[in-house]
Amino acid sequence: MSIPYEYYVALSGLLMVLGLVGVTVRKNIIAVLLSTELMLNAVNIAFVAFDMKLHDVAGQVFVFFILTIAAAEAAIGLGLVMAIYRLRKDVDVEKLTELKL
Amino acid sequence: MSVIEQLVSGLGMPNFVILIPEIIILLTAFTVFILELFTKNRKVISSISILGLVASGGFILVIMLGILKLILTPITLKEASSNPFYSFIINNFLENFVTLYGLYVVDLFSLVFKLFLVVGTIFVFIHLRPYLEAKQTYYAEFYYLILFSLVGMFIMVSSPNLISFYIGLELMSVSLYVLIGLYRKDYKSKEGAYKYLIIGGTGTAIVSYAIALLYGRTGTFDFKEIAQSIITLESVDVGLIGGLVLLLVGLALKASAVPFHHWAPDAYQGATTPITAFLAVPAKIATYAIILRIVVEAFPSLTETWGFAWALFAAASMILGNLVALRQRNVKRMLAYSSIAHTGYIVAALAAPTGMGFAALAFYSIVYLFMGAGAFLLLASLEKNKGWNNTLDDFKGLAKREPIIALLMLIFMFSLLGIPPTVGFIGKLGVFLALIGYEVWWLAVVLVITSIVSAGYYLKVVANMYMYEPSNNSKINVSLVEKLSLGVLAILVLILGIYPTQIWTLTTTISSLLMAGVGR
Repeated sequence: MSIPYEYYVALSGLLMVLGLVGVTVRKNIIAVLLSTELMLNAVNIAFVAFDMKLHDVAGQVFVFFILTIAAAEAAIGLGLVMAIYRLRKDVDVEKLTELKL
Repeated sequence: MSVIEQLVSGLGMPNFVILIPEIIILLTAFTVFILELFTKNRKVISSISILGLVASGGFILVIMLGILKLILTPITLKEASSNPFYSFIINNFLENFVTLYGLYVVDLFSLVFKLFLVVGTIFVFIHLRPYLEAKQTYYAEFYYLILFSLVGMFIMVSSPNLISFYIGLELMSVSLYVLIGLYRKDYKSKEGAYKYLIIGGTGTAIVSYAIALLYGRTGTFDFKEIAQSIITLESVDVGLIGGLVLLLVGLALKASAVPFHHWAPDAYQGATTPITAFLAVPAKIATYAIILRIVVEAFPSLTETWGFAWALFAAASMILGNLVALRQRNVKRMLAYSSIAHTGYIVAALAAPTGMGFAALAFYSIVYLFMGAGAFLLLASLEKNKGWNNTLDDFKGLAKREPIIALLMLIFMFSLLGIPPTVGFIGKLGVFLALIGYEVWWLAVVLVITSIVSAGYYLKVVANMYMYEPSNNSKINVSLVEKLSLGVLAILVLILGIYPTQIWTLTTTISSLLMAGVGR
C-alpha cells in the first residue's frame, strides 16, 4: 500500500513555506543560506511526487539539475559568508547593513 | 516519450553548426582561464576576450542578416539554394534549427537578442581593463566569469524548454553572484553579493517550484506542449494558475520588478561599476527576452492573467522606482533605481499582449542597452579618479572640468528620461502606443506621469554638471579609448532616436515570427 502523491506535494509545499519564513525571519546569515537550500529541496520532493503521479522520469532528471545548482549556490554562499566574517567578524543580518538609502 | 527514451532511441547527432557562437565564447572563456595561469599581461587577456566576442558576434550578425534577407525579400527558394551562403543558412537555420534533442532553438528571436548581448558585453570589456588598472586590482576571473555568464544568457534566450531555461538562468545568476563579490578587501561588494545571492536563490527556488507545478499539471517541460495541454484542459485549475503565478513572480524577481526589487540597488552599488553595467544591461535584457518568450510561447491562452500581472508589476516598478530614485544622493544607486523604473517601462508593454506590445518590449530592451550601458560605463570611467565617490556633489561643475564627458552624460540622461531626439523617447512612445492600442489607459497614464517625475533626478545630474562651479579643479582622467566607446554609444542613442526604422522593423519581425510560432 503506497502513500498517494498528494501527501508528498503537501509536504513539499510546507517545506517551501518554511524556507520562505526562514529567509525572512532568521538573523544569522548562515541560517538564511540554509533556508534557501531548504526551499530547493522542497522542490525536489515536489518533482519526485509529480513523477509518481505521471509515471515519467523527466522530473527525476530535473532533480539532478536542481541538486547541482543547489550545490553551486551553497558553495558560493558559504564562500561569501567566510569573506564577510573575515572583514566584519559578525554573522548577524541586522548589523551587516552598510548599503542602504 | 520521456527524455531518456528519446536519447536511447538515437535521434542522431545534434546540429552543432548553429551552436558556433556559443562554442566560440566557451572556447574563449577556457582560453582565458588557462592563459591566466601563465601571464598576468592585462592587454593580452582583455584583447583575447574581446576578439572572441567579436568573432561570435560577427558570426551571429552575418547569419541574422542572411535570415532577414531570406524572410523579407521575395527570393525564390531555388534561387537561394544555388547560392552556397543562402543554402547554408536554409539548411542549418531555417530547417534544422532545433538542436540538442529539442532543448535548444536558434531562431531569429534568439539571434537578435544574442547579437545585442554580445555588443553590450564588448562595451563592458572595453571599460573593464582601465577600471581594474586604476583600482590596482586585477583578476582574469572577471573576464571568464563574464563570458560564462554570457553563455548562460545565450542558453536562456534560445531555450524552447523549461529545462534549458532553468540551466541558462542559473548559469547566468551563479556567475553574477561571484562577479559582484569579487572585489577583494571591499566589504560592500560582499554584502551586495550576499543579498543578491539570498534573494536570487529564493527566486530560483520559486521558479523551480513553478516548473514543478507546471510539470505536474501538464506532464511536459516544452513551451509549445505546455501551451497545447493548457488548451485541451477543460478548466483552468489551481495547480496551473499557481504554477503560472509563481513563474511570473520568479521572473519578476530576476528582472528586479517591484515588489521583488530589494536586491537590485544593493547589488548594483556593491559591485565594481563595469560589473554593474553588465548586471544592469545584458543580464536584464536576457531576462526580458525570456519573459517575452515564455509568456508568448507557453501561455498564449492565458493572456488576460499574465497581462494583468505584468501591468501590476510595471505600475509598481514605475511608481516606486522613480519616487525612491528622487531622494538618492549617490548617482550609482540612483541609476539602480532608475533601472528598476525601466524594468517597469519595459514590462508594461506586456499589458498589451499584441504584436505591437511585443515589438515595443523587444525594441525598448534592445535600445536600453545603449543608454543604460552608457550611463553606467560613464560612471565607471569617472570612478577611476581618486576622490570620486559618485555622489551628486561630485558632479558639480563637471562641464568645466571635462566638457566631453559632461556632454555624453547629458545625452544618456536625456535618453533615459525620454526627450525626443534620443532613442529613449522612441522606446517609451512604442510602449505608450501599444498600451493605447489595447486600451490600457491607466497604465499609459502612469507611464507618462512617472516619466515626468523621473525628470526630477535625471535633470538634477545635468543641472549639477552645468550650473555649478567645480568645487575641486583636479584633472579628471578619462582615457581616449573610453571616450571613444562612450561616444559610440551616445551617437547610437542619437542616431537611433532620429532614425529608428531599422531596429523597429527588426523587432516587429521577431515579434510577428514569435506570435506565429514560425520560429519553431
